[in-house]
Amino acid sequence: MDFVKSALSLILVVAVFTGAMFGLNFYTGPLVEANQAGNALAPLLAVMPEGSAFGADALVYDASDAAASGLTDVAATVLKIYREANGAGYAVQCSTEGNYSGEPMSLTFGVDAEGKICGIQVDTYTDSIDVRTKDADFLPSFVGQDSTLADVGLVAGCTFSSSSIRNSVLAAMESLTANGLVSAGVKTPAQLLTELIPTVAPGMAQEGNLKATAIDASGSAEQAFQADNGTGFAYILKDGDNEYLAVVNAMGMCALYDVDGNAVSNDALAREAAAMAAGTQKDFTSAAETKLSRMYENAADVTPLTLDTFGTVVYAASFTNEGETYYLFYSRSVGFDQMDVYVVLDANGAIAKVDAKQLFFETDYFPVDDTVDQPAYKAGFNGMTADSFPADAGVIAGATMTSNAVRLAISDAFAAFGQIQNGGK
Amino acid sequence: MRKMNLHEGIPARLVLMGCALVMLASADLRSAALMSGMVLLTTLLSSVTLSAISKFIPKGARLPAGVLVITGFVSLLDMLAQAFFPVSANMLGVHLAALAASPVLFWVGEGAEDQGEALAVRTALTTALFLAAATMVCALIREPLGCATIWGHPIGFLENVKIPILADTFGGYLVLAVVVAILNAVTAGKKEAAK
Repeated sequence: MDFVKSALSLILVVAVFTGAMFGLNFYTGPLVEANQAGNALAPLLAVMPEGSAFGADALVYDASDAAASGLTDVAATVLKIYREANGAGYAVQCSTEGNYSGEPMSLTFGVDAEGKICGIQVDTYTDSIDVRTKDADFLPSFVGQDSTLADVGLVAGCTFSSSSIRNSVLAAMESLTANGLVSAGVKTPAQLLTELIPTVAPGMAQEGNLKATAIDASGSAEQAFQADNGTGFAYILKDGDNEYLAVVNAMGMCALYDVDGNAVSNDALAREAAAMAAGTQKDFTSAAETKLSRMYENAADVTPLTLDTFGTVVYAASFTNEGETYYLFYSRSVGFDQMDVYVVLDANGAIAKVDAKQLFFETDYFPVDDTVDQPAYKAGFNGMTADSFPADAGVIAGATMTSNAVRLAISDAFAAFGQIQNGGK
Repeated sequence: MRKMNLHEGIPARLVLMGCALVMLASADLRSAALMSGMVLLTTLLSSVTLSAISKFIPKGARLPAGVLVITGFVSLLDMLAQAFFPVSANMLGVHLAALAASPVLFWVGEGAEDQGEALAVRTALTTALFLAAATMVCALIREPLGCATIWGHPIGFLENVKIPILADTFGGYLVLAVVVAILNAVTAGKKEAAK
């Protein structure tokens, strides 16, 4: 009897509470669902104007099912695009690539109906130095920008991070304009010319991104940039109603371009740009000739050369050694850190010697130098010419950035030699 | 009848039984407030219910009945918390539902079966209020000093001096140990007098 009573009482307790939960669920269930939906939409609402809402059909594009959206030419970094329910614009979730850690970051930004960014936030940050604390104005600088991101610069000390965020937003904006979701912004001449710098002066860039610091501009110059590696300067010059880009290399040579990227001739502007650069350009002559004396004890007739190249070569000279003529090219390529690479070519353009001030950095954390015979590595380049320079020459496993910097220095040396052969100064 | 008079000193068993939920909930004031409310309501409701139905349940079924009643009330309150306090509920996560397995609730519920309703209510309130006070005091220490926030709002001048470990598990036990030690010292005199 006790057993029956026990069982019945337990069944009764279970039934009462089950009924209570069943009934309560009718009331709390919709509230919980609304809360969960709100959590999912919170990042979107945070970047949109107040009063925005996203309905059940807000998702316009999902990278995991791109074919279903009907949008075309959407950048790979775009993850999702949501349409605001009241026509206030779009919220875009995207990821980055090419940031410092290599681990993609995720961010969300909103675009209003006029095609201007109304809000932006980084949802997950994976790089070691937080660009948001390095420069608190970086993310706010996106607000109000159109698809050109004209006034969004990079953050010194967080170049990779800020560049990857900027590129991600730019790619997403291009996807929106390409599909007619927002109208495209019009780039100013100054912006077009600034974007031209990495193309015409690759020594001032790294992997296509400008690596320069904005400096004070004067005279005809509206904007001025100094290459972080000392390879030269870039000036946005105004002459009447026209604007031009003047790039000056470390050897004092200047080249002028218009907004369409065409080389132009304007002696006055070129002289002005060269004069501005001369006042600030670091002279690499002493360092180069000191290094040369160590590389070739009997070097003589050292004659500095002035070249029209705009790569990483900052100093070039011809010299003789034991009756033979050689050419020294001092390159300031950037690998893991700033590098100083010295490439000596013989009269036929073949590599006679390659040396560097320092090949490996942070060796406590990257002990690659323990596995590399540095003298043998450098000697391995000897005899190579521009035509016989293999695509994998000098590649060091675990030191990709260093390898690439050395290869770049050698390539730029070959290019500079080519100019000498073709009658360059 | 079982009585528990806190003014006679810290009930060490209670601290031991409740330290997990105090530590888990006290990293943020919002979660501490929700957990305190949950403990209070659960102990109260389950004590009154078990005290009332104990006469009708055979002795052998009292333990499972106690488990079912406590679990039932925790589940109902969890549903209400998810609906009306989603931020705090998300912070607590599974720990809110795991309250159903808290030794404190079973200890109070077990005692309530042998007590009248009035004493059951008094014991439940005393226990829950003590744990709530401990949780809130720990949260008032851990959140500002560990996260440089109060109720989720940042405190600028603490950002550079915050001690992140206080927001973690180890910090939780550390703060709780210090709080209990202080309480023990304060009530030691009363305990001696009671003896």
